[in-house]
Amino acid sequence: MFPSPPHARRGAPAARLAALSTVLLIVLVACSGSASSGASTAPSAASVAVASPSLAPTTTPTASTNPTPAPSFPASLIDDEGTAVTIPAQPKRVVSLSPAVTETLFAVGAGSSVVATDDSSDYPPEARPLPDVVVFGTVDVEKIVSLDPDLVIAGGAGFTSAEAIAKLRDVKIPVIVVSTPSIDGIYADIELVGRAVGAADKAKAITDKMRTDMTAIGAAAQAASAKAPTKPRVFYDVGYIDTTGQIYGPGEGSFVAEMIGLLGVDVITGDKVTYEIPLETLIERDPQVIILGINAFYRPTPATIATRTGWQTLTAVKTGDIRSVPDTEITRPGPRLAIGMRNLALAMYPDLDLPPIQ
Amino acid sequence: MSSILAADGLTVAYGDRTIVNDVDLAIDARERIALVGPNGAGKSTLLRALTGVLRPRSGTVMLQGIPIEAVDSKTVARTIAVVPELSQLPFAMEVQEVVALGRLPHDPPLSGSRPADRDAVVAAMERVGVTHLAERDARRLSTGERQLVYVAIALAQAAPILVLDEPTAHLDIRHQVEIMQLLVDLNERDGRTIVAVLHDLALAAHFFPRVALMSAGRIVADGPPASTLDAGHIRGVFGVDPALVRLPVGAA
Amino acid sequence: MTARTLPTDRHHSGLSGWLRGRPGAIAAGGLVLLGFLMVAGVTIGTTAIGPGDTLAVVLHRLLGLDLGGSWTTATETIVWELRLPRVLTAAVVGAGLAVAGATFQGIVRNPLADPYVLGTSSGAALGAAIGILLPVSFVAIQIGIVNVLAFIGAVAAALLVFRLGGAGRAGGMTRLLLTGYAVGSILAAFLTMAMYVSGANLRAIFTFLLGGLAGASWDRLFLAAPLILGGCLAIGLRARAIDGLLLGDAAASHLGVDVKRERGILLVLASMTTAAAVAITGLIGFVGLVVPHVVRLLVGASARRVVPLSAIAGAILLTAADLVARMLGDLPVGVVMAMLGAPFFLVLLHQTRSGYEL
Repeated sequence: MFPSPPHARRGAPAARLAALSTVLLIVLVACSGSASSGASTAPSAASVAVASPSLAPTTTPTASTNPTPAPSFPASLIDDEGTAVTIPAQPKRVVSLSPAVTETLFAVGAGSSVVATDDSSDYPPEARPLPDVVVFGTVDVEKIVSLDPDLVIAGGAGFTSAEAIAKLRDVKIPVIVVSTPSIDGIYADIELVGRAVGAADKAKAITDKMRTDMTAIGAAAQAASAKAPTKPRVFYDVGYIDTTGQIYGPGEGSFVAEMIGLLGVDVITGDKVTYEIPLETLIERDPQVIILGINAFYRPTPATIATRTGWQTLTAVKTGDIRSVPDTEITRPGPRLAIGMRNLALAMYPDLDLPPIQ
Repeated sequence: MSSILAADGLTVAYGDRTIVNDVDLAIDARERIALVGPNGAGKSTLLRALTGVLRPRSGTVMLQGIPIEAVDSKTVARTIAVVPELSQLPFAMEVQEVVALGRLPHDPPLSGSRPADRDAVVAAMERVGVTHLAERDARRLSTGERQLVYVAIALAQAAPILVLDEPTAHLDIRHQVEIMQLLVDLNERDGRTIVAVLHDLALAAHFFPRVALMSAGRIVADGPPASTLDAGHIRGVFGVDPALVRLPVGAA
Repeated sequence: MTARTLPTDRHHSGLSGWLRGRPGAIAAGGLVLLGFLMVAGVTIGTTAIGPGDTLAVVLHRLLGLDLGGSWTTATETIVWELRLPRVLTAAVVGAGLAVAGATFQGIVRNPLADPYVLGTSSGAALGAAIGILLPVSFVAIQIGIVNVLAFIGAVAAALLVFRLGGAGRAGGMTRLLLTGYAVGSILAAFLTMAMYVSGANLRAIFTFLLGGLAGASWDRLFLAAPLILGGCLAIGLRARAIDGLLLGDAAASHLGVDVKRERGILLVLASMTTAAAVAITGLIGFVGLVVPHVVRLLVGASARRVVPLSAIAGAILLTAADLVARMLGDLPVGVVMAMLGAPFFLVLLHQTRSGYEL
C-alpha cells in the first residue's frame, strides 16, 4: 500500500493492496471531512527495496585490515539515521522489526536472543514461531515493552513508523534504525547489527564472504555479458497494480538496481523514491528481457504479463523473453543477498556455471 | 420627561442613504402605539434604532430617561422585549425550550434556569395560550402557532416594553385578530407598553389608540387613528384612492 | 450547571422523557461511564495486566503510594507511559472535538457543521505534511515539528477563513461556510501535491489523515490539554450566546447578546480547541459532528446543556472507540467510530418520537 523501503515485507498481492488502499481512501475522505484525496499516489508496491537517498548511511564498511576486538559493552553506535545509540550490556532480549534484520541476527549467531519479530520475518525457520510485534505495518509498542527488550532494531526511511521508534526511545529502550540504498550499505548494516549484539567478528566474516561471492558472481556475469554485442535492456518487475496499471521496478540508485547493473546489462529503473515507472517510460525504454520477481504474494506469469494494458508492444513480451526468479533473497537487504545475486545471474545467463552459495 | 422610550432628532443612515430622518417620538409607559407607512418608509429601521441594536447617525434614544447606548445590553433586554422574526431554527427544539430562550437576559452566566425562570416560561406560554404545544417541535408548528410562540418568548423576557415588527404578516384573518386581541390584553390588563409596526391599516386603526404614520424616513402624522389615517394622508403617503381602504375610523 | 426540569416536562413518557428533564443525572451517569471506560482503557491492552497492578502503578506514580504490588518495570512503563496518556488524550480530544462541533453548529446555525468547517482539517493536514517532509533527521525532533506545524496550519487556515469570510458580519454565515470550503479545497490541493511527492513518507501523512491515538504521550498531552480544556471551559461559559443565536442574529442582540463579539470569540475558541486536538491526534472525524446531535436528542437544543454534556459524551465516545480499536489490533479510531457509532446514531435517530431532524 505504501512504498515500504528496505527489508521488503514479503510482498503482498497487488490487487489486495489496491483494494485496501481504496478502502482507506474512502475512510480518509469520510473521516477528514476535507476534499483532500491521495488517490493518485496511495498505492505502491510493498515489495520494493530502496531507501530514501537523503538518509545516507553514516556508517561505512569497515576496512578488513583491523581485526575487530572482542565484544565490548557498553557499546556506542551511530545508526543509519545518524542517531547515537548506547547499548549498556550485551543484549539478551532483542526485538527485530524487519525480516532482513531478523535474518542477520540469526546469521551472526544471536538468534537465541531474539524474542520477537515483525510478521514478515519468515527466515530462518526458527524465526517463524517468535511472537509478531508488527502486524500489517502497525507496531505494537505495548507488546514490545511488555517483552522487556534490551535492544530493538528497526527499519528506517519509514519502514518502521517514526512514531513507534520515538515512543520506544521515550521509554528508554535502545533502538537502532538500519536503512540503506546500496550494497555496501547492506554490508555495513550487517556489521552494525553484529556490533550491536556483540557478534562483530561473526558479522565481519559474513560480509567478507558476501563480498567474495558477489564479486565472483559479478565477474562471471560480466564475462557472459561481454559475449553479446550490446548490453540487453532489462526490466526487473517487482510489482503491478491491475486496477490502476501502476508498474513498479527497481528504484533508481537502489541496491536492487545496483545488483542488476553488476550483471552487465542496461537496467531499466523506476522512480528513486516511489519505485514507480510510468508505462510510457517503460515502452520507450522497451525492455528486451523482463525478469519477474516472484514471491508468495506476487506471482505474475508470462501469460498474465501479456494481458497488461500496453505491454504487448514491449520487445520482451513480443519475443516471449520473460523469466522468473524468486524475489525475496534479491529484495531483502540481508545476509542472503549473494543467493539473490546468484539467482539473478542465472536468470539472466542460464548457462553460467555458478557454484551454490554456502 | 415621563416617556418610557423616546427618540429625539433621530437620524439613521447607511452611507449617503438616509433611512430615518430627524424623527422625534415619545412613547409613554402603558401606551399602545402602531407604526404604519408604506414599504421602505423606515419603520423597521426606526424600531431597531429605538431598541438600541442600531446606532443612529445623530439624535438620541432615551430609555427610561437614560441614553440607550449608556445602558448595558442585558438591562436593555430586560426592559425592551422584541418579538423575534420567524427565522428557521437550526435544530429541533421543543416549544418550551424556545420560549425559555426569552429568559437569557435574566440568566446568571454560569447557571441555567432557576425556578423563577421556569415560572416565567410557563406563565408566558399560558398567557398566549400555547401551553398545549409545550413539547411540540417548534419547527413543525403552523405559522399562526409559531407567531404565538414567538410572542411568548418576548413575554418570558418579562420586559415592560414589548416591540413587534409586523406580527400579523403571513397570518390568516383569525390569527391576525387573535394576535391583536392579545396585544390589547397585554397592554390593558398587564400594563405593558406595546410598540408595533403594522402593515394592515385596518388592524392598526381598530386596535391601536395611537398610530404614527411614517413616510420617507419621517413621521408625518402621529395621534389617534382618526386623525392619522384620514383620507388626505392615505392619498398623500400611500398614493391610493382612500375609497379602496375601508377603515373603521371612516377615513373615506 | 444545567437547567432543572420545567413543570411540563413530566408529560414526557418513558426513559427518554425522564432523561430529558434530568441533564444532571445524565452528566453524573456519563462521568461514571467515562471513569469506567478510562479504567478499562488502562487495564486492557495487548499485554495482560491485572486491574490491581494497573491501579497500584497509577497510585504509585501519582501519589507515591506503595501498595506493595509486584509489577515489573515493563508493566509500569506500559501502564504509565503508554496506556494512561493515551486514554487521557482520547478523553480530552473527544471532549474538545465534541464541544467545538457543538459550538460551530450553533454559531453558524448549521446542523451539518463540524469542527473542521473553517478549513482547520486541511490546514492541519498540510502543516503536518510539511513537517513530515522537512528534510530534517527523521526521529525525535520531527515528531514535535509535525504537531507544531499541524497546530499552526489549523489556526492559520481558520484565521484566513475568518478574515476572508467576513465572520463578523451579520448574516455572513453562508459566506463563511463557503469560504471555509474554498480555502479548504485550496489547502487540500497543496496537501495532495505534498502527498504526491512524499514518496516513502506517504504512510506517515496518511496516518495523520486517518487520525489516531497511537502517538499519544505525556509531553503532547501537556501541550494540548490546557488549550483544549481551557477552550471547552471558555465556550461553556459563553453558551448563552450560542443559545441566543438559535433564534438568529437580530433576536440574539435583542436578548442582550453582543452578536459580533461573541461569535468572533466563540469561533476563535472553537478553532483553537480543534487545532490543538488535531495537532496531537490527526484528523479524527465523527465525534465533532455527531456527539452534539446525540446530546440534543437526549436533552434538547439549549447550548447550556449541550456544551457540557457534549464534552462528557465526546470523551466517552473517543475513549470507548480507542479501546475497541486497540482490542482489534490498533485500527484507525475513526474507522471504529464510524463503524460502531454511525449505526448507533441511526438507531437513535429512528427511535426518537419527537421526529428529530437535522
